[in-house]
Amino acid sequence: MADLEIRDLTVEADGTEILRGVTLDLDKGKTIALMGPNGSGKSTLAYAIAGHPAYDVTGGTITWQGKELNDLTPDERARLGVFLAMQYPVEVPGVSLTNFLRTALNAVSENDVPIREFMTRLRGEMKELGVNESFLQRSVNEGFSGGEKKRFEILQAALLRPQLAVLDETDSGLDVDALKTVAEGVNRLEGPDLGVLIITHYTRILRYIKPDEVHVMFEGRIVASGGPELADELEDKGYENIAGLKATV
Amino acid sequence: MNLDALTEDAVTGRSDAAGEPSWLRDRRLAAFKRYLDQAWPDSRADEFWRSTPFDRRFDVVRDVVAELPEVGVEVPGTVTASLDASTSLVRIVDGVVLDAVVPAALVEQGVIVTDLATAVVEHPELIESVLGSLTTSDPEGTGGDEDRTITANDAAWTGGAFVYVPPEVEVEAPIGIHVHVTRPGAHLPRVLAVIGHHAKASIYLEHTSVEGVDALVDEVVEVVAHDAATVHLASLQSWSDQIQHLGLHKIQAHRDTTIRTLAVTTGGATVRLRPETDLVGPGADVRPLGIYFADDGQWFDLQPYVRHIAPHASSDVLFKGALQGRSRTVFRGNIFVHKDAVGTSTDENNRSLILTKGARADATPFLEIECSDITAGHGSATGQIDARHLFYLESRGIRREDALRLIVFGFFREVLRELDLPGIEEASLAAIEARVEQADLSAVQVNDAALRDEVNA
Ligand SMILES: Nc1ncnc2c1ncn2[C@@H]1O[C@H](COP(=O)(O)OP(=O)(O)OP(=O)(O)O)[C@@H](O)[C@H]1O
Ligand SMILES: [Mg+2]
Repeated sequence: MADLEIRDLTVEADGTEILRGVTLDLDKGKTIALMGPNGSGKSTLAYAIAGHPAYDVTGGTITWQGKELNDLTPDERARLGVFLAMQYPVEVPGVSLTNFLRTALNAVSENDVPIREFMTRLRGEMKELGVNESFLQRSVNEGFSGGEKKRFEILQAALLRPQLAVLDETDSGLDVDALKTVAEGVNRLEGPDLGVLIITHYTRILRYIKPDEVHVMFEGRIVASGGPELADELEDKGYENIAGLKATV
Repeated sequence: MNLDALTEDAVTGRSDAAGEPSWLRDRRLAAFKRYLDQAWPDSRADEFWRSTPFDRRFDVVRDVVAELPEVGVEVPGTVTASLDASTSLVRIVDGVVLDAVVPAALVEQGVIVTDLATAVVEHPELIESVLGSLTTSDPEGTGGDEDRTITANDAAWTGGAFVYVPPEVEVEAPIGIHVHVTRPGAHLPRVLAVIGHHAKASIYLEHTSVEGVDALVDEVVEVVAHDAATVHLASLQSWSDQIQHLGLHKIQAHRDTTIRTLAVTTGGATVRLRPETDLVGPGADVRPLGIYFADDGQWFDLQPYVRHIAPHASSDVLFKGALQGRSRTVFRGNIFVHKDAVGTSTDENNRSLILTKGARADATPFLEIECSDITAGHGSATGQIDARHLFYLESRGIRREDALRLIVFGFFREVLRELDLPGIEEASLAAIEARVEQADLSAVQVNDAALRDEVNA
């Protein structure tokens, strides 16, 4: 049994069926990439894993380390080690970034991390990811540029140490240097205790984060699966040849 | 002496007994005459009272309290006194000044922080020309037309504080004025502060009362800020459940002054607060801020008023409130721009966060503009906790209660972070936390519609 098992998952939002039977496995220690054109349902899958209230699971299962996630609240899932780096992180006005991170860390570690130890860790992670110390005074995502938001998502992953990290378009909005820093950040997190599901449109992040498998989503279904070479093929041929890919499944 | 039936004899009798100078006695008498001509506000007729039914929320048939509490009565601590700084503090308990403390170093610089009754005798030259000047008509046209809630205080105030900061003196540590209520009845505190040109002062007005006391507090605060002064005025309404509070906190801002006010309202049955600023000198800048948290049974009516009388002044009003239970808040912000006030810049905003069913927030940002050469904005919004914010925090493992608390605090921090007043942010958040603690978080309503906006965006 895989650590993350998604079986025949169907998901609706606002009364419309978006995922139409998705099956996917991911083990800790592995990295898989999920690609697909705009609107194919990639973020919907990510949100369904995290428990976003706008997405209703109408059929199928998501099991994480033997636990059915569907009945759990988002915070319960997070405390089981599930983390979603969001495609569009929201600004939470006035909520102090430091306070937010400390509350989150205490929650996932089920432990009151002393403030000094926390600050030392936080400063360390910020340095690694090239996040300026002045961010300590800011509110969660408030006034952050697109790239800063993405960096901050990875910073949270680095601090919270999840066992399943879903990275939804973390590369978009990053320039080449930022992409490298963020990819290095992800690589540092990788190891036998972490499974990574990396969602992306483009192959460029896959030059830095090597996936073990690549899956392609189209209209709410996985239509092609393969090794890293599948990503290159997509890069060459583009998603227009989805129909062709379908035939090869 | 009953607030609803003041008599000439009672007003002058008290003045004489206190040995007040004749100008003050005359002034009280003049106010009393106006009081006689007036009736209590009629919420059906008076525009500024339309939102709060005076006769249902305020009981004026009460004896005026001016009697020290029994020996041994404990006065609660204050934010001012808790600070690790050489603060000054006047404590007014039950209509009587209990004590006034001012550090020797400030006295040497000419700073006065004392009982207003003492000050009128010792420093009439500082007081005679200003006391009451912001509540009665004067040639500059800033006061005037005050209703009976104010003329009653003008006539019969008891328990007053006086603050004077000489020109060019910067007082770093806050100056506290603590109004504490232990006895039922009508309390009529009065505050006068005169801040000299290029001087600087922060005044903390702290309001507390013992549990269960049923009282009306009809308060008038006048602050005159002379040219280029910097004045911060924080008012904390930390009343117990049965207090009815009428507060006029009025500032006259002269040329190039910098004024910051913050009203933090969490206590009391009914609080009607008027944080007002008259911008009478060019280049004056005021930022009236307010936060409030209304719980079951509470009714807060907040009426910040800014009058742009001089040109090239700026104002930016921001009030934010959260509500739970069967509570009611009213925001009636007023901006007046005189026809000569060219180059005015003004903005006025109110945000309400409705946490549970049954609460109601009304907002009317009101602009009265006689001059066209200005920039003005205003806005108000009432909403619920945003489901997207909640999901974001929860997705990081934060439990719902903690996430809600963070969001509510964040809502208020947006206001609090505009100021750097030692102890105020902590005290305000602690007061709000105490309210949130009592809330039934499972009843909190979340705005799911925001989730759809996200997708459609
Ligand atoms: N909450 C929602 N309500 C209604 N429709 C939704 C909702 N969320 C997503 N959809 C729709 O579902 C489809 C898939 O959206 P999703 O965001 O999962 O795509 P995606 O593959 O992540 O696209 P992109 O590459 O642009 O990020 C789209 O047509 C989208 O409009
Ligand atoms: Mg997406």
